[in-house]
Amino acid sequence: MKGLAKGLTYTLKNMTREKATYHYPEEPLPLPDRFRGIQKFYPEKCIVCNQCVNICPTDCITLTGKKHPDPERKGRIIETYNINFEICILCDLCTEVCPTEAIVMTNNFELAEYSRDEFFKDLQWLDENDTNIRKEN
Amino acid sequence: MVRTEEMLLNVGPQHPSTHGVFRLVVKIDGEIIQEATPVIGYLHRGTEKLAEDLQYTQIIPYTDRMDYLSAMTNNYVICHAVETLMGLEVPEKAEYLRVMAMELGRIASHLVWFGTYLLDIGATSPFLFAFREREAIINLLNELSGARLTFNYMRVGGVKWDAPEGWIDKVREFIPYMRKELEGYHDLVTGNEIFLNRVKGVGTYTKEDALQYSLSGANLRCTGVNYDLRKEEPYSIYDRFDFDVPTEETGDAFARYQVRMAEMEESLKILEQAVEQFPEEGNILGKVPRVIRPPEGEVYVRIESPRGEIGCYIASDGQKEPYRLKFRRPSFYNLQILPKLLKGENMANLVVILGGIDIVLGEVDG
Repeated sequence: MKGLAKGLTYTLKNMTREKATYHYPEEPLPLPDRFRGIQKFYPEKCIVCNQCVNICPTDCITLTGKKHPDPERKGRIIETYNINFEICILCDLCTEVCPTEAIVMTNNFELAEYSRDEFFKDLQWLDENDTNIRKEN
Repeated sequence: MVRTEEMLLNVGPQHPSTHGVFRLVVKIDGEIIQEATPVIGYLHRGTEKLAEDLQYTQIIPYTDRMDYLSAMTNNYVICHAVETLMGLEVPEKAEYLRVMAMELGRIASHLVWFGTYLLDIGATSPFLFAFREREAIINLLNELSGARLTFNYMRVGGVKWDAPEGWIDKVREFIPYMRKELEGYHDLVTGNEIFLNRVKGVGTYTKEDALQYSLSGANLRCTGVNYDLRKEEPYSIYDRFDFDVPTEETGDAFARYQVRMAEMEESLKILEQAVEQFPEEGNILGKVPRVIRPPEGEVYVRIESPRGEIGCYIASDGQKEPYRLKFRRPSFYNLQILPKLLKGENMANLVVILGGIDIVLGEVDG
């Protein structure tokens, strides 16, 4: 009986302690800056080097480039850029290899859609995802 | 005349006490288990085969998903294997960050075990308390690596991030807090008569059995074998820390409980020393070529994960991808003794024995 009483004392002590839960949907969840969420893409920074496509462990990134419209300038610019969030594991390797930081992580993590097709995010969507961008990349 | 007959019963694959998708076919005669056959493979993702098409850096996020309760040790084992094969030097600061991350992970993993084990047995509140403390650890690791469970934190030759500002102090504050909570757990559970009746003398095996079944980790140490790879073959910088290897003699479920609880205290001891010795200056990534191409050859390294000996074998043919990769996953090996332990036991003891082994299905199935 002694052990039981001891255990009950611990439980009673914990009743007055601070709550450990968050009011999550009503209040935003506090997240550290480094948190890896949905990527933000800057089309103007991209140099179409294909490194993010090559490093992606799940092959969820596809991109195409085109010649620079200004014939004076060399290099290519981005035409389409898609990330398939059905298979993206948010591993952070694409942002790690990007030489121009054209793709960065944000702290947004809410990825719920009504159909599977909607997980296929295109350049425009990724460009517009510009809240809570991670400071350190 | 009453006729009795044996019955086949499926426990799982969706059963709360199996902690994942694991099926156990038990042949019962009344309440007594005659035979138990584990059926595994529901979570098989073919990590080893997938790795043959991936560069070494790309394999690291896959290892997070094997033993998802202590992903840091899995990160470490693959990095350590590649570093050994290439003969890379890892900067001291990176080693300290790795050790701290691994030990925090070990405590978090044991906390999950503690909580869910007692939940299986029928005590609900320890689960809530254990997860509260685990949340504190997960927040620390989230600040360090940017993810709560699938860290992808280590890299070949170092780590991805340096400790953020104030992180070391947070770890320092966490140590006394966790010590106090551990004392509370002992008050709550260890002396509880109902709990003791439930676990003492249940699922007992001898030292010889444990060695024959190549058990490792707490499952081995509960029989009195003093074997911990952090002491036997010190990897990383574990030779710099002063800690004990807790062992018990009885080899029952209660011994395994005691070993794991004591291991958390030892991990706190290591953390305390690591925080004190932590170098403020230094690199976090050693001199690593841009494309990791280990020389031709093979390597096997093993480290102590919360569940036992986790090993990584790499056969390299000098390419960017491994020719063959194999993980020795401790949960898979520890699970093999289950049919032997269950034979002749009461049906109610099934969850006590299965929970006591502490398996993670992501690791069993690979």
